[in-house]
Amino acid sequence: MLDTSEAGGPAVRRRWFALLLRDRFACAAALVLVVVALCAVLGPLLAGELATRQNLRAPGRPPFSLDHGWAFVLGSDSLGRPVAARLLAAAGTTLAVAVPAVLCSLVIGSVWGMWAGYHGGWRENVSLRVADVILSFPSLLLAVVVLYVFSPSAASLVLVLAVARIPVYLRTARAEAAELRSRLFMDAARTFGTGSWAAIRRHVAPSVLPTLLTVAALDFCFVMLAESSLSFLGIGIQPPDVSWGLMVAQGRQELQSAWWIALFPGLAIVVTTVSATVLASWARLTTDPGQRWREALGRRPRGARGDRGRSGAGRAVEDGERAAAGSAAEDDRRGAADSPGGGGEQAATGSAAGDSEQAAADSTTEDHKHAAADSTTEDHKHAAADSTAEDHKHAAADSTTEDHKHAAADSTTEDHKHAAADSTAEDHKHAAADSTAEDHKHAAAGDGGRAVPGSLGGLAAATTGKAAGGGDVLVVDGLSVDVHTPAGPVHVVRRVSFAVRSGETLALLGESGCGKSMTAHAVAGLLDPVAEVVGGQVLLDGVDLLGLGARARRRLAGPGLAMVFQDALSALNPVLTVGTQLAEPFRIHEGLSRRAARARAVELMERVGIPEARSRADAHPHQFSGGMRQRLLIATAVALRPKVLIADEPTTALDVTVQAQIMDLLGELRGEQRMALVLITHDLGLAAEHADRVAVMYAGTVVETGPVAEVLGRPHHPYTRGLLASVPAEQQRGARLSSIPGSPPEPGAVPAGCAFRTRCPMARERCATHRPALTGTAAGRAAACHFGKELADA
Amino acid sequence: MLTLLRRRAVSSVIPLLFVVLGVFFLARLTGDPANLYLPLSATPEMRAEFAARNGLDDPLITQFGDYLAQVAHLDFGESLRTAQPAGEAVLRAFPATLQLAGWTMLLAIAGAVVIGSLAAYRPNSATDRIASFLSSTAASVPDFWIAIMGVLVFAVTLGWLPTSGTSGAAAWVLPVATLLIRPFGVLVQVVRGAMVSALSAPYVKVARGKGASEVRVVFGHALRNAAAPALTVAGDLAVGLVNGAVVVETIFGWPGIGKLMIDSVLQRDFAVLQAAVLVTALAIFALNILVDLCHALLDPRIRQRAAA
Repeated sequence: MLDTSEAGGPAVRRRWFALLLRDRFACAAALVLVVVALCAVLGPLLAGELATRQNLRAPGRPPFSLDHGWAFVLGSDSLGRPVAARLLAAAGTTLAVAVPAVLCSLVIGSVWGMWAGYHGGWRENVSLRVADVILSFPSLLLAVVVLYVFSPSAASLVLVLAVARIPVYLRTARAEAAELRSRLFMDAARTFGTGSWAAIRRHVAPSVLPTLLTVAALDFCFVMLAESSLSFLGIGIQPPDVSWGLMVAQGRQELQSAWWIALFPGLAIVVTTVSATVLASWARLTTDPGQRWREALGRRPRGARGDRGRSGAGRAVEDGERAAAGSAAEDDRRGAADSPGGGGEQAATGSAAGDSEQAAADSTTEDHKHAAADSTTEDHKHAAADSTAEDHKHAAADSTTEDHKHAAADSTTEDHKHAAADSTAEDHKHAAADSTAEDHKHAAAGDGGRAVPGSLGGLAAATTGKAAGGGDVLVVDGLSVDVHTPAGPVHVVRRVSFAVRSGETLALLGESGCGKSMTAHAVAGLLDPVAEVVGGQVLLDGVDLLGLGARARRRLAGPGLAMVFQDALSALNPVLTVGTQLAEPFRIHEGLSRRAARARAVELMERVGIPEARSRADAHPHQFSGGMRQRLLIATAVALRPKVLIADEPTTALDVTVQAQIMDLLGELRGEQRMALVLITHDLGLAAEHADRVAVMYAGTVVETGPVAEVLGRPHHPYTRGLLASVPAEQQRGARLSSIPGSPPEPGAVPAGCAFRTRCPMARERCATHRPALTGTAAGRAAACHFGKELADA
Repeated sequence: MLTLLRRRAVSSVIPLLFVVLGVFFLARLTGDPANLYLPLSATPEMRAEFAARNGLDDPLITQFGDYLAQVAHLDFGESLRTAQPAGEAVLRAFPATLQLAGWTMLLAIAGAVVIGSLAAYRPNSATDRIASFLSSTAASVPDFWIAIMGVLVFAVTLGWLPTSGTSGAAAWVLPVATLLIRPFGVLVQVVRGAMVSALSAPYVKVARGKGASEVRVVFGHALRNAAAPALTVAGDLAVGLVNGAVVVETIFGWPGIGKLMIDSVLQRDFAVLQAAVLVTALAIFALNILVDLCHALLDPRIRQRAAA
């Protein structure tokens, strides 16, 4: 609770305070607790004597009368003792039991837990068993028995309650420590000979502490309630001392004649415990910077456990989260600065872990050591910087371990965003530049460019919104999407227009965070609740999907438009058999019986190349390989022969060889079913190889469209140029790569005028004031640049 | 599945033994029953005779050995208070508590699933905020006080419900409501949290992308995934119900095992206390296994791990 602020010095405390003031609810709760604490300290002085003095001339006075002085404002009991004075005196007793009990169990439990979790093995097992034994026994009963041994008193209450609650902290601390143990930097710390207690103090304790303090705040409620329950049962605090629980017990005897005696102490308990709960949940959100805004947006904390290092999952982030990162970064930074022992370092250690994994992936021991040496922010910067250089070299020299590096680069960017906490702009840029270089490496192969025939007329439709070409099955016109963040709406997609014909593949190309995924989700009607379409049209066969009701829209989901997601593991429901999931479209849309739908599902599995489909239909997603899972996901999407299939980075999480197979499958299906395919990718090579046309996106808008070979062969927009230049081509092996300077703007901070101007080598004055529209530059091509024509003619 | 059961059973035996052992010795430390059952003027001879009759003169370790041997023959000894077999007393009280706890958990889970899902469906909406505040309040109110206020309002003032007893449906309302309030509050929060994360999972989007109705999305796809954490917590809460039962049974004069245990501690009635604790521990043991089974039923990954 408030104790968390004590660690960080006056400046930090002040910021915590400011944060607290912003949340009226938490503020009120804190105020209540302060009042209770004051009562506890001053109460015995003010009321100690009044509370126990019997006054037989004033028995059973009703409350809410000031005739007899403040002490009688809440009435008096049958012995004439004033209730208000007793309440005050009882506050002291209550806190005198609860606070020491919580502190004891917190200290003992967390140290024990961290020790157990750090070492693992038998220490961990024995500790957990002990915790099990204590927890498997109802704590009240334990207390009852023990209190009979030691005779009830405040001290034995503290003892009993502390023992009963130790396992709670033990388990929490152990879980967190065990999680850290599995991280690479801990291994490294161990190989460097850091002693176990030193390692626990430096690496484990800081990241476990916020969680433990939150647990302690909640536990405070539990202990208070337990104390009052025991006192109520007559085996806790003993008269003549007073506690709230004891007062309720006494009030129970006089319930019929004097209801107020039982009412007020109970209210006091409720108000105190509820305040502690409210403050605890506030503290949980505040100490975990990642969670604060996500919770506010109703999102799941990403990569909270174990996900962070996994490249696939790490990348499963949608643009929405990124979009909000604009404002999140603000909170993050504050969170980090505010709690050096808390959330901030958690973020830092998290990203350091990410880096060390990256280093490991690159298998340069140098990096590893750097990242490992320490997980403080500084070294972590080192690691980042080093691996940047490394990656560049690698990128230029080597293109076989692409996959690994992809993963690495992406997770770096991720972690950096996350740890925007300590985000000096430099780090950020490094990571970004890095991932740019990485992401587009593929184009090395595709750059030579297979000449792909472009479709005509698409542009006209795209820019005007009129279905010019007769074959345009999907027309997106002026689509805009906002994400609602605590700091206000962020425009993540701004007037995006494109069109696709049946049987055609359009690649929506752009870096992570440019809004391409968000566009796809908006088109498919699958936006998260925090995101909202604020303008534009999505025409499927001339019908505006955005104008349809939920029911009509559901009818089109599957037969009209379907979507394939990038991370097939999380896109398949882990608890249902794949047969059930594949049968679902038939059950929903065609009303088939279970049996018939299953038969269709098996056919579908055979079609996408799952061996032994009949028996495998009863298997669950985790029993399939990554490639097979992606096939299953594609099968689900194409089950009802959709007119448009949107594939959101369908191969990013896969090995290179599997990537090719999946792309081939998509190509076959597109041909068979005459689908329009919208391929969302950050991979120039993939676009070059598989798309007919391409729409390049930057900062939420389309900056260039046209036939893929023409656009990638002769870009009409400086951004597309920059992308291509940052790709290492075969003949340039060893030459220095040029990358686009700077990093893409956060969606909340897109510069006025042309969004790209701050990084553009061609930027002039006009770019700062006038936002260029997407205008035709050549037949079937368009670019959103004031100099598009010049580039086209040059 | 059997492997899972066996492993769980074996790993739970040791805690069970510790509980039995702990209660046996701790109970012996709570004082000499002779002080309670014999008149103050009792002579040392009378005391010795009392101890010998009840097997209390042997060394503790012998007493424990005898006790274990008896338990193995399902003989729990005799109540000092009523001179009846302790096992019978416990078995008479046990169903009353089981019924009380069973109804409470059933209602708490059902209510929490509905309200938690509603709150999670639109995070941060008015519904969500109200549900979150009320549930966190419910989770932190003192149950004994709620019980007394319930008696004050519904029994004393309005006269709708009886103050104690077990006869008739009306007599169940206050005890169940009192016992329910905290587990319910906790469960709503757990279900809400689990549902928020399940509903934002990609597979939910995929289900929506297939054109699944919202009912199908929430109950067919998300709920089963959200059930695991809720189930774990529900198991812990069910164990904790014994705490609540002690309070509620005392207040409402419910002839259950919680009241029996409190009474036997107060009366130094070792045999009954030991039998009651053993039966409770066995019930908790069975409950844990049940929870594990449910986990395995819900999640194929656990089944596979168990089989491996």
